[in-house]
Amino acid sequence: MTGLSSDETARLRDAALQMRQNIVRMVRAGGGGHAGGALSCTDIVASLYFSVLRVDPANPLWPGRDRLILSAGHKCMALYAALAQRGFFDEKLLETYGSLNSRLPGHPVMSKIPGVEANTGALGHGLSIAGGIAMGLKLRGLTAKVYVIMGDGELAEGSNWEAAAAASHHTLDNLVVFVDRNGLQISGETRGVMNYEPIAQRWTAFGWSARQIDGHDFSQIIEAARQTPFETGKPSVVIATTIKSKGLSFAEGRMEYHYWKPKADELSRAERDLGMAADDSKRRK
Amino acid sequence: MREKKDPRATYGEALLAVAEKNDRVLAISADSSSGSGMTPFRNRFPGRHIEFGIMEQGILGFASGLATVGWIPFVAAIAPFVTARPFEMFRNDLGYMKQNVKIVGRNAGLTYSDLGATHQSLDDVAILRTIPGLVVVCPGDPVEIRLAVEAAAAHEGPLYLRIGAPPIPVLHAPDVPFQLGKGITVMDGSDVTIISTGTALWRAFDACVMLHKKGISARLVSMHTLKPLDRDLVCDAARGTGAIVTVEEHYLIGGLGSAVAEVIACEPCPAARLAMIGVGDQFASNGPYDELLGLYGLRAEQIVQKVEAFLRSPAEDALAARASKGSR
Repeated sequence: MTGLSSDETARLRDAALQMRQNIVRMVRAGGGGHAGGALSCTDIVASLYFSVLRVDPANPLWPGRDRLILSAGHKCMALYAALAQRGFFDEKLLETYGSLNSRLPGHPVMSKIPGVEANTGALGHGLSIAGGIAMGLKLRGLTAKVYVIMGDGELAEGSNWEAAAAASHHTLDNLVVFVDRNGLQISGETRGVMNYEPIAQRWTAFGWSARQIDGHDFSQIIEAARQTPFETGKPSVVIATTIKSKGLSFAEGRMEYHYWKPKADELSRAERDLGMAADDSKRRK
Repeated sequence: MREKKDPRATYGEALLAVAEKNDRVLAISADSSSGSGMTPFRNRFPGRHIEFGIMEQGILGFASGLATVGWIPFVAAIAPFVTARPFEMFRNDLGYMKQNVKIVGRNAGLTYSDLGATHQSLDDVAILRTIPGLVVVCPGDPVEIRLAVEAAAAHEGPLYLRIGAPPIPVLHAPDVPFQLGKGITVMDGSDVTIISTGTALWRAFDACVMLHKKGISARLVSMHTLKPLDRDLVCDAARGTGAIVTVEEHYLIGGLGSAVAEVIACEPCPAARLAMIGVGDQFASNGPYDELLGLYGLRAEQIVQKVEAFLRSPAEDALAARASKGSR
């Protein structure tokens, strides 16, 4: 067990629940969205934004800030929810998800909303960009860290392994990757589509220091993040086992909810699952 | 004999000079530093020279990240490997993110003549012109290369610089006015305008000299910036000479000729006849550089022949073309 206090655990649990509620609101507003991956990484994103990252919503471009790069950009609803709840922008903006010229597109754009650090969406880009930021921070003598959230299906992109090699070669121990290992991608189980096992050994073979955790256990997430770098001079990777669509009883662990376009009563079931008020949709409008 | 200089060495010297004045400038190598003229930079500023090895997709992302933290990375490598290969990284990580990164494609065009189509770069301008906000610069002599590097460092935003490899002659005075997005009128003329760029410029220059000797008043424009294109200068050429020939070491699809055609095909540009010299729709062959240029009509005497034939071609056709455009 770690030293995570019960207060902090409760605070993170509340923040993550609120994020999941906000994700459902965005899906409702936009008529659909990549909810599966957003919900699987929610507890990681919540832990980072509410306990780990040194960021200042009032000064989002503060040079000494920690960065979070959402390499799996399709999980952006989790990022938007966290940024809004952290005060980077008004939560009401979440209701614009999916509308024309929304500042919250289906993949994040840094010029549209404060707190977004890279325009991701095409997979296999985030780690290189994050590596460049980590390198640039070190060159400037800044001690900030750069966190990256990647999907497990995304690991099939070859460009990631260019970045992984360069990050260890250049001893970027201020770089931390969380692999949101929900085990599913569009076509099915990630192992079946393109096997990435043994995942930890792949990273360590590339010169990284790896740790495996339960990606829904706040203590484990926080402990891992706070203990980085796991080894001085090496970048760190946290392989976090998660459940896709976590929190939605009808969708958990089911590949067809990679992109959730709610059918029939699914929205109201989701609201019940997450303890949202029955009149939530009316209240929000 | 005219003074000739290696464009890669010229680039390297210019980058070093810029870096002496601006401590945010970095030299980024994909195992490509010495071949890109950056050895003097590496010796002078080892801490600002970063080697990545052969990983041209990742390197653009790293450059993007470095720019985010305030650095100005210059990435130099063989042209196709930093353009066609990592195109999506170029578009998203540099263009879409509006990053202050300079990509230098060297050995562009046919200059890797003997190594064949994998190493030649005849499509880089075409694909990169589609990236919103990207500046595309193809300097045509050593003076333009030096001034382009200075302008690139001063420009805030992504920029592609395209240079060759074999030595090229000095055409301009050292203090020639140079501004991104503004072409340079090298020679004046009233019968025809030759618009050329980059590696092809000096042969177009020689062709113009020969045309003048033959009594043909040929104007020569160095269109060193292909994006944003100097539309006013193109329209001036259309108005002043009525006939334009573009000369480039690039595919006819999507390069300088296409960019000029896009301008003169649209109002309010005056009507003009247009011919294009460049490489047609094929993978280019291999062999000695000068002979390879000969296969695609890019030697000076071939440019002269093409211009003469173009000016001799049926006047009725030209008049009909002007009349139909003028009547709109």
